[in-house]
Amino acid sequence: MKLLTHNMLTSKCMKAVTVGYPLAINASDVRVSEVDFNPDFIAKIIPKVDWAVLWNAAESIGQLEGLPKEIVENYENDQDFLKKAHHVLLEVDVINGELICPETGRKFPINNGIPNLLLNEDEV
Amino acid sequence: MPFLKNLGVEFAVEIGSGSGVVITALASFLACACFATDINPEACQATAETAVLNGRKVDCVNMDLLGAFRNRLFDVLLFNPPYVVTDPCEVVGNGLNRAWAGGFHGRQVTDKVLSTLDLLLSEKGVCYMVLLKENNIQEIQRFMNENNFKSDVILERKLRGEHLYVVKFSRIL
Ligand SMILES: C[S@@+](CC[C@H](N)C(=O)[O-])C[C@H]1O[C@@H](n2cnc3c(N)ncnc32)[C@H](O)[C@@H]1O
Repeated sequence: MKLLTHNMLTSKCMKAVTVGYPLAINASDVRVSEVDFNPDFIAKIIPKVDWAVLWNAAESIGQLEGLPKEIVENYENDQDFLKKAHHVLLEVDVINGELICPETGRKFPINNGIPNLLLNEDEV
Repeated sequence: MPFLKNLGVEFAVEIGSGSGVVITALASFLACACFATDINPEACQATAETAVLNGRKVDCVNMDLLGAFRNRLFDVLLFNPPYVVTDPCEVVGNGLNRAWAGGFHGRQVTDKVLSTLDLLLSEKGVCYMVLLKENNIQEIQRFMNENNFKSDVILERKLRGEHLYVVKFSRIL
């Protein structure tokens, strides 16, 4: 699971959950792998990302690598910033661990890079 | 396809990616972030492997439809749903039966996606879905029109006794 994906996931489908966002990450195995850097693409997705959630997620698994806490001005033209964003969004992969619902504490396992957010019938 | 290149896709997703060949092909063709979901854990594994074998990035999540994704993220949504007309009680669990069992009119799973499409697609988002003649395309088109979506049949094919359509749904602006 990439941190971009984490940025998009919620547990809102559970009954008794109102927002279910952001999910906490408990990572036991994190892998970093190089992905081609496409600055235009990163610049286009930054407005769609919840930056505070991304920053906290990266910090919680020790993968900040100098990522600024706030989006910088004129980020479209800031190669250094875009490169850091690229790294955290796309190159960091949580391979094993769990996601945790902020409201109920329900844990969702991540195995082999794939989070399991399936719910039992009595949870929906 | 030229349409998708011009649309400026940032996020694409396939629901029920199964083996993963469809979303992997899309990932080869568009420079966007590609995601996949499947209710079957083995299908999720298969999707991840297919993407890697082809040198593509697809992030796969085991979930029911797009239930665990935030709203209105996706510019492209692909779904080849379980569309076979079956007894509704066959649409249970997360095994292989979920690859085909479509329940009443084969629409049980399809309808869940179509009736919430407004919450799944981004402002410019489009959805491509495989449907069967028995799913009653006209009725679906009428329903979608009431919900401010237009439906275009972009492909029609008769295959092994199945009469299939690929229908594109897009917002009426
Ligand atoms: C007809 S198969 C399509 C497989 C593959 N996408 C293809 O085109 O070859 C339907 C797929 O949808 C999955 N599926 C069925 N119901 C689902 C649901 N509610 N949420 C997510 N995936 C589902 C099945 O497990 C199966 O992999």
